[in-house]
Amino acid sequence: MEKVLTVENLGKSFKDTRIIRDISFGVNKGEIMAVLGPNGAGKTTTIRSIMGIMYPDEGDIQFHHYQSKGIPRHKIGYLPEERGLYKNVKVMDILLYFAELKDYPLKKAKLRALEYLKKFGLEGKNQVSIEELSKGMGQKVQFIASIIHEPELLILDEPFSGLDPVSQEVFKEEIKELAQKGTAVLLSSHQMNLVEQLCDRLFLIHRGQKVIYGTMEEVKKEYANFKCTIQGNNDIQKLERISKVQRVEQKENKSILYLMQDVHIPSWLKQLPDDIDIQEFTVDRVSLHEIFVDIATGKDEIGEEGELHA
Amino acid sequence: MRNSLKVAKWEYKRNMKNKSFIISLFLTPVLFLVFFNLPLLFDNDQAEEEGSQIYVYDELTVWSSLKSQLPEETTENWHEIDTYMTEDEIMQKLNEAENTAYIMLTDQVLENGSVKVYISDDLDENFVYQTNILEQPLLAQRLADLGLTQEEAQISASGIGFETVTPESIDKAQSEGSNSANMLERIVPVLFAGVILFSILITGMMIFQSASQEKKEKVAEIVLSSLTPEELMKGKIYGYFGLGITQVAAWVVIILPFLVWRVDVPFLEYLFVPELLLLLFIAIAGYLLFASIFVSIGATVEDMNSSSNFQGMMFMLPFLPAIFFGPIMSDPSGIVAQIGTFFPITTPGVLLIRLALLETWPWVEIIIAIVVLIVSIWVFMKLAGKIFKTGILLYGKDATPKEIWKWIRQ
Repeated sequence: MEKVLTVENLGKSFKDTRIIRDISFGVNKGEIMAVLGPNGAGKTTTIRSIMGIMYPDEGDIQFHHYQSKGIPRHKIGYLPEERGLYKNVKVMDILLYFAELKDYPLKKAKLRALEYLKKFGLEGKNQVSIEELSKGMGQKVQFIASIIHEPELLILDEPFSGLDPVSQEVFKEEIKELAQKGTAVLLSSHQMNLVEQLCDRLFLIHRGQKVIYGTMEEVKKEYANFKCTIQGNNDIQKLERISKVQRVEQKENKSILYLMQDVHIPSWLKQLPDDIDIQEFTVDRVSLHEIFVDIATGKDEIGEEGELHA
Repeated sequence: MRNSLKVAKWEYKRNMKNKSFIISLFLTPVLFLVFFNLPLLFDNDQAEEEGSQIYVYDELTVWSSLKSQLPEETTENWHEIDTYMTEDEIMQKLNEAENTAYIMLTDQVLENGSVKVYISDDLDENFVYQTNILEQPLLAQRLADLGLTQEEAQISASGIGFETVTPESIDKAQSEGSNSANMLERIVPVLFAGVILFSILITGMMIFQSASQEKKEKVAEIVLSSLTPEELMKGKIYGYFGLGITQVAAWVVIILPFLVWRVDVPFLEYLFVPELLLLLFIAIAGYLLFASIFVSIGATVEDMNSSSNFQGMMFMLPFLPAIFFGPIMSDPSGIVAQIGTFFPITTPGVLLIRLALLETWPWVEIIIAIVVLIVSIWVFMKLAGKIFKTGILLYGKDATPKEIWKWIRQ
């Protein structure tokens, strides 16, 4: 895989508080890399450090295929978490301004802007003032602004926050398409369900430190253990006594049995006690969302660190 | 620099497309013209006096001999009448007329030593002073009647005046002829530089709004992904400078033709002198100094309405030279004027006022003041860069003076 960005041992403190510590990851051409974590985990600090908006106290950020010192700003597309647009200007004017700032040819930018406006259902809105757009439309224009100059590396900080489900789908599809065309995408999010279907690799950050880093499959295999959901009237202690059961969560008639990593499902199913009340029965893997919630709430024993070769 | 120019171009275009800016661009000079002309419209007294008609019955031939010695514009509303009119007849005429006065110069006047000036109701009583020009010839006539020769009578009637003389007044008297013209020659380019400073300062204040808006609308971070905070800040300063110059151009286009037409002074001749270059330099330096203050403080404020007194006070800084105005007028080379010249915030304003007043420019002081100004601009730009860099990304709250101090020290 051709590397586009490498971040090594990044660290940053505010006063005496350590915001991020020893953050290392890379982003390859044509892949979607997600930085995940709860609010306040240090995602935005990491991204702002990459963008040069914040200066890290330690660590190294390297943009490959770029010889000179500094950040190749015209090669990067950036959609920050805190984002907005000038209110009293026309859509096309602001898109061309951002293209000009990136040294992108204006003629080409205009064509691309029209193409993307059409793609996002904003055809004919190019001469409309930003203040006349709805919030969702404004977010689409912001997204177009971040990709208007065909960036090699696209950095999206919480791209899905505040979007309705339809717009989320539009964004997801576009991000996938960009990656397929070769753009390296680095995105941060706390919406695991969206990222799960989207990213190739992920970096889970909690309290400023790495928790999990690896490909989606590796993470699932390593951390997303099987869980068995049983609908029926059962005694929790009885369920806990079943072999290979790590813990049980019970709510009314629904019991979720979290299984150990080395469980062999066919054998485990065979040894289930006969007297269990089963109305409904499913076995599946723990979702990224659950892993995330477990880590954030301190339930998971993965604890401080786990690395899968990246 | 290239990126700054892109921002400058954007800020310029954005404002030039803004209806309210375009309106204010033309409205300010038009308002100036209105207020310039307003006093003339309301100056009824002068209008009345200009339009008044004075009828003289000149039995003594005093008026006819005086008339030949007076300029035509003074005598054009005086009319001689051939027949004597009684008081009743005059009153009757005055009841029907406006802006009219009658004077009967008969032997009786010389005997009584008083002239009755009959005026219509609408004329002010002070109008009588206009007829004072008759006093001296009448007195001379009276003395001639008493037996003095014409020459003796003239001398006696002219009276004796007293005047004070100081060494300064002698110098003044020597250069009196060209003095008022010199004064105007000095003032015109300074006034022009003053207008430029004022205009670019007013648009410069819009930088505050622009930086604050960037924060409020959360665009700063997107923009900063393409350029550095310094480039963004400088771009704003250049852009609003361009807008200020456009405002000056509007002033020149609208007001200069009017002044050339209305005021009898060769403006263009007085304006384009080598000194103008120095004055323009002072004006531009003044702009850069205040622009750096406005842009950095703007970056610390999200909502202009909620900005604290501290930020509001910054707007008062350009008007600080007004404090020095009185002392400078009374002594343009005095200690107050000198302090004002070397205190960076007041340097541009005070220097311009002084250069308008002083006949010989104090070049040593000017050079020191310019050095102070250049060093101050450099320092202020550095500080502004530090404040702007952190302030522009601090969303959701206004910065306190304590925080600003911390950013400066970083």
